[in-house]
Amino acid sequence: MRSARYLVAFLASFAILLAACSGAQQPSGGGASPSTSVKATPGGTMTFALEDQPINMDPLLSNAFIDRNIHYQIYDSLVRIDSSGKIIPWLATSWDFSSDGKAVTFHLRTDVKYADGETFDAASVKWNIDRYRTTTGSQRSGELASVDSVDVVDASTVRFNLKSVFAPLLANLVDRSGMMLSRKSVEAGGTDFTRKPSKAGSGPFVLTEFVQNDHMTLEKNPSYWLKDKDGSQLPYLDKVTVKPITDGTVRLTNVRTGDAQIMNNIPGKDVASLKTDSTLVYQQKEAYQFNSMIPNEAAGYVFADHRYVKAVSMTIDRQQILDTIAFGVGAVGYGTIAPSHFAFDPTFKPYAKADPDGAKALIAQIGAPLQFELLIVSGDPVQLQEAQLIKAQLEKAGITMDITQLQFAQILDLQNKHTFKGMTLIGWSGRIDPDGNTYDWVYTGRPNNAESYSNKQVDQLLDHSRATTDQEQRKSDFQKAQQIFVVDDPAAVWFGFGVSQLLYTPKLKGMDIYPDRLVRFATAWLQK
Amino acid sequence: MGQYILRRLLLMIPVAFLVSVVVFVLIHLSPGDPVAIFAGGEVQDPVVIAAVRQQYGLDQPLPAQYVIWLEHALQGDFGRSLRTRQPVLEAITERLPKTLELGGAALLLSIVIALVVGTIAAVRRNSVVDLVATGVTIAGVSLPNFYLGIVLILVFGLVFRVFPPGGYSDFATDPFENLKRLVLPAITLASASTALNLRQVRSSLLDVLSQEYLRTARAKGLRERTIVMRHAWKNALIPVVTIFGLQVGAILEGAIITETIFFWPGVGRLAVDSINGRDYPVVQGIVLLSALSYMASTLVVDVLYAWLDPRISYRSRSA
Repeated sequence: MRSARYLVAFLASFAILLAACSGAQQPSGGGASPSTSVKATPGGTMTFALEDQPINMDPLLSNAFIDRNIHYQIYDSLVRIDSSGKIIPWLATSWDFSSDGKAVTFHLRTDVKYADGETFDAASVKWNIDRYRTTTGSQRSGELASVDSVDVVDASTVRFNLKSVFAPLLANLVDRSGMMLSRKSVEAGGTDFTRKPSKAGSGPFVLTEFVQNDHMTLEKNPSYWLKDKDGSQLPYLDKVTVKPITDGTVRLTNVRTGDAQIMNNIPGKDVASLKTDSTLVYQQKEAYQFNSMIPNEAAGYVFADHRYVKAVSMTIDRQQILDTIAFGVGAVGYGTIAPSHFAFDPTFKPYAKADPDGAKALIAQIGAPLQFELLIVSGDPVQLQEAQLIKAQLEKAGITMDITQLQFAQILDLQNKHTFKGMTLIGWSGRIDPDGNTYDWVYTGRPNNAESYSNKQVDQLLDHSRATTDQEQRKSDFQKAQQIFVVDDPAAVWFGFGVSQLLYTPKLKGMDIYPDRLVRFATAWLQK
Repeated sequence: MGQYILRRLLLMIPVAFLVSVVVFVLIHLSPGDPVAIFAGGEVQDPVVIAAVRQQYGLDQPLPAQYVIWLEHALQGDFGRSLRTRQPVLEAITERLPKTLELGGAALLLSIVIALVVGTIAAVRRNSVVDLVATGVTIAGVSLPNFYLGIVLILVFGLVFRVFPPGGYSDFATDPFENLKRLVLPAITLASASTALNLRQVRSSLLDVLSQEYLRTARAKGLRERTIVMRHAWKNALIPVVTIFGLQVGAILEGAIITETIFFWPGVGRLAVDSINGRDYPVVQGIVLLSALSYMASTLVVDVLYAWLDPRISYRSRSA
């Protein structure tokens, strides 16, 4: 029975592979700019206004979200996601699980070379994965903790032996843990590999210039392995200049004036006018990112009684927060599983209507009024407005919330030590697999479980979701767990999900938007 | 004079040492673990955090960390950035010319405007020029850099499209583009200091103009231009030079905000990123640099005094 399932999985991946070899390689039309029927013109230079300065070009050490915007242009990973968030073959053309689920065999592309001329093969995969797993200080070791060893079966086949079945492994291999680099270039780069241009990747572009706080230059990789449906070489663009501009208004001005052709992370206040602006193209898609209020539930703190968490969750008006603070850009949410996740349940709306009277009754039942401190990041006017709105909403239930502004570093510190007094207003950039949005946040003793939450049933369900590769079973586990950690025994207050955004000039074609909020330029081209 | 300068230069050493100690203690006392911040709120395995801390020597006691830093610094090695792994000296020297270009342009702009407009405002007191100068001065002081910068970008970058909305272009590659991109940030950075300098020039000159020796000069039948330029200016400039000297430091501080708005790749922006990221070695390097530049600018001011006013001499300190 089980092997039949794996056969189905294998056939499904084969079908996806076929799709990848045909459909996915087509330059896809970007939202409002129907470009599918127009033939792409190669050449040209484009400037991308990015929200911050990328820091680390070594996927082993990188831990800032922003870095991944560059990684995705210069490195390929074993698997990728398509624009709907589904995992698709990439450097690995297919994979199959052993009957006990404790080994995964990947079949690799044989036509891939790194930009430095080295060949991508099974030995290279083993070297990369072992490097990520075993290097001291590796930021990837946790994501690959389930891997016990890697065997080279033949030049184009590699087997991962797992310590136990670990369902989120493939999702982890989509990102930095699955990125393949040339050993020669990495070793030649030494300590400076993190910040100097190199030809270590096999991606559509090669990083040729990296001037901190100024710009990065990505030049076309002439030997990129991917071609479009007409057999034309990808990428189309000759060069992409990436400029880090932290101020949203200034970033927008750069796109308006033509100094930049594309930007992401658009301020909510500008979205409504941009949608109707015919001189620009705006695209938006639901992302994996969530917004939350994290309580300290350790013994001796007010939220040790989880009913207080529930009272807060019942009182806040999520729609009003979304409309007022984010100008309607995003989605109302109640838990950690986002609309783009396979386990999302659209009917799960436990606090659809704010219920201050219900919260009042609950607090009366507990016996003592609720007063707590909310920590927010100083110098962020939007967060301050959000906190003030929440404060006003909570007053309706007789809950007093004091707002304290601290530096982000201080809040993280207090969270890690579990010594903040009330709640923090800290969200999460989100992960492709619901496990990445959930496990480390609510499982007993995990690093991001700042709330010190512990619920045996939740732990069991989440462990179970990791130990099976049956998607339906996992979905059921996540939804059951979410019911507990959001409603029955609340761990935190989740109130919304973010969106991926892109804004660009109509001359730019072939841009697709992904739920992970990262850009891909392989199929982008400029209309002459 | 040479001896005086040498003595002042030697005095910089203990001051720099004290500054380095104070900064080291302050930045390490401010809450927040750099290793946790680099993760930007992403999940961190405690084992990984511990390994990274050990790798960067952050697990050592504070005095030991300082001694190690000092030992290396004395050999010209200021360490590497915790965030980017770039050597601190390289990070600073790479950006310093860009900050000096911006700061120099702003200072020049500020001094020229202050001297010209300030003098006209003083000579033609209560005239239209004086009133306009006063108005602009108040606006200049009142408008914070971050606001003025964005307004300038919107007006001249977006509406009139005269100047690009920020960014830097290398002078060697394209001098014209470089200057075009310099205009808006230089005006932004110069705004507050121009206002202060202009008021100082005006009031200082007004003070001198009412003195008796100038009445004598007028009685001698000298032309007003000669009176102002040759007799009044030099005496009026002493307090002005003091203010200019202090403005050098203020401009460096202002560069922190201006460079961030105009994404000018200078030391100011590096400072912001490093402080937010608790990038200890870089912050240490930048603060040391700005302390040294403060000391150097006050030394230049003191030397200028002697040149402007022969009565000031640094030789006979005991007399």
